[in-house]
This record gives sequence, C-alpha cells and structure tokens, in this order.
Amino acid sequence: MDSNKIDELLNKYWNCETSLEEEQQLREYFRGEQIPEQWKETATLFRYFDTHKKKTLNDGAFDTALMKKINTPPPSKGKVVRIFYNTLRIAAGVSVLVVATFLVRNEIRESTPQEMVDTYDDPKLALEETKKALMMISKSFGTAEEKAKKINMFNEAQQQIQKNEEKRAL
Amino acid sequence: MNLEAFQNRVLPAKNKLFRFALRFLGNEEEAKDIVQEVFIRVWNGREQMADVQNWEAWCMRITRNLSLDRIRSLTRKQTQPIEESFNVQHEALTPHESTEAHESMQKITQFIAALPEKQRQIIHLRDVEGYSYNEICDILELDMNQVKVNLFRARNAVREKLTKINAYGL
Repeated sequence: MDSNKIDELLNKYWNCETSLEEEQQLREYFRGEQIPEQWKETATLFRYFDTHKKKTLNDGAFDTALMKKINTPPPSKGKVVRIFYNTLRIAAGVSVLVVATFLVRNEIRESTPQEMVDTYDDPKLALEETKKALMMISKSFGTAEEKAKKINMFNEAQQQIQKNEEKRAL
Repeated sequence: MNLEAFQNRVLPAKNKLFRFALRFLGNEEEAKDIVQEVFIRVWNGREQMADVQNWEAWCMRITRNLSLDRIRSLTRKQTQPIEESFNVQHEALTPHESTEAHESMQKITQFIAALPEKQRQIIHLRDVEGYSYNEICDILELDMNQVKVNLFRARNAVREKLTKINAYGL
C-alpha cells in the first residue's frame, strides 16, 4: 500500500471516520517491517492494540471449572431456613387476622347500647327472673300504698277540721 | 439453549470478555473471576434471555457492569495497567532499537491508562476488539454521539502525546 493511501487512512482514523475494514488495513500495514520514520510511533500504537488482542484466557482449566460450576445446580441455600421463613409468614398472617377480629368485635360491642344486649339465653330462666323482678316491684308498690293511706288519713282529718271551723264561723 | 449451544455460541467470547474485564480491573485473577461469573449468570438466565439478539454484546455489557461493581467493592479508584506481560520483540531490530520500541510501547500503555474511564473503554472496544459503533453503543449503553465524541477525544489525546514524542523525544 502506498504511503499516500496510508496518510489518507490515518487522517480519517484520527477523525474517527474510518470503517472497521479500513482500520483493519491500517493494523495490517503497521504490522509490516518497513515503516517510514514519520509513522514509527503510530505503528507502535497499532502494535499495542494487536498485542492487547493477543491476551487470552485459553487455559483448559477455566473451561473445566466453568463447566463444573454450570453442571452442578446451585446449592439450595438452607431448606430449613426457607421452611422457617414460610411458617413465620403464615403465622404473621394469622396473628394479624386474630388481632383484627378482636378489635372489630370490641368496636361493635362498644357501639351497641347495653340495654339491647341479651342477658339470658334460656326463656324459662328469663321468665322466672322477670317474675321475680315484677314481684319485687309490686311488693314495693304495696308498701308505698300503705304509707300513702296513712298520709291520706291525715289529709282527711285536716279537711274535717277545716270544715268544722268554717261551720263555726257561720 | 442447551449446553452445546452455550459452548459453541457463548463461550468463545471468553477472551474478549477477559480482556475487557482486565481493562477495568488490571488483575488477571479478578478478571477471570468476573468472566466466570458472567457465564454463570448467562447460563442461569438462559431461559429469559432467549430473545437477546447479540449475545456477545450482551455478555460484554454484563462484564462491564460486574467489573464496575467489583471495582466499587474493592474501592479501587484507578486500575493498574498491565505492562509486564507485553513483550515487543522484533528479531530484525538491533538491541538499541528493541529497547526503544519497548519504551514507546510502555509509553503508549501509560497514555491509554491515563485516559478517562469511558474513553479507555471505547478505545479498547473499537481499536483492540474491533467492534462496530452500534455494538459499542449496545455494550456501554450510550448513544452514538457520545461514543463517537469519546473515541475522537481518546484517539486525539493519544495522538497528541505521540506527536510530542516525535517532536521532542519525550
């Protein structure tokens, strides 16, 4: 390749206008022996790229080690730990439910008026208790009536006295 | 994808992945480790990635991400250039010339190592590995404009330094 062509390619190269093929041509040219003095350093640069490309990982040990790692499935990390975690998750879910139910029940109970809460489940027992309560009330009423009769007596007597006084005045 | 397809289609990219990881980490053992991790990830995720068009670019992207993660975890700010492994020996050269060539190769290694991270990645992908601009966009998740601008800057930074060597023998 003549030096004009190389010069042109190099200019394109520095301006990042070369195609991959043209860069390959440059690489091949600078691999040669007879490089003019003006491009000696440039040639070193291209040789630097070449040398770097020669760096390889071509040891069989790498492939063998890799294949061994690929073929052995990754160790299942702590089955016990996983079961423990799952149990923990379920337990947490259940406890949240329990607490929620408890709170909701409390809330409902508080918002219901006390008198509406049933006290007895057995109707017979309820009847007995009702009777007892009514008896108590009627007994109290009886006592109250007796006292009221006494007051009534005083009242009548007072009225009698007033009538007598009025007659005398007439 | 079965094991055979994996070995035939994905595994051959190992050298490119290795060089790319090495570019980030500057340590062969670390780079090898990264490549192995990339392959294991690809293998384990092979079902979901059935529709990946360009396996190689995709692997390169994983390599880049894992390498960056590794760098972060090692809290290493700057990767070390690997110099010792590059012997530039030319039988036709005299000892004097040979030393000179070796020196300029080392200088170029330094120039490239001194480039900003992104530029270093791009110049590696383009000039060492010979990827197309589209593939580089894919690998680095950058748009075409950014790739070109960075490559331009990288090449010209190197060129400037090469010109200085030429002019002043620095």
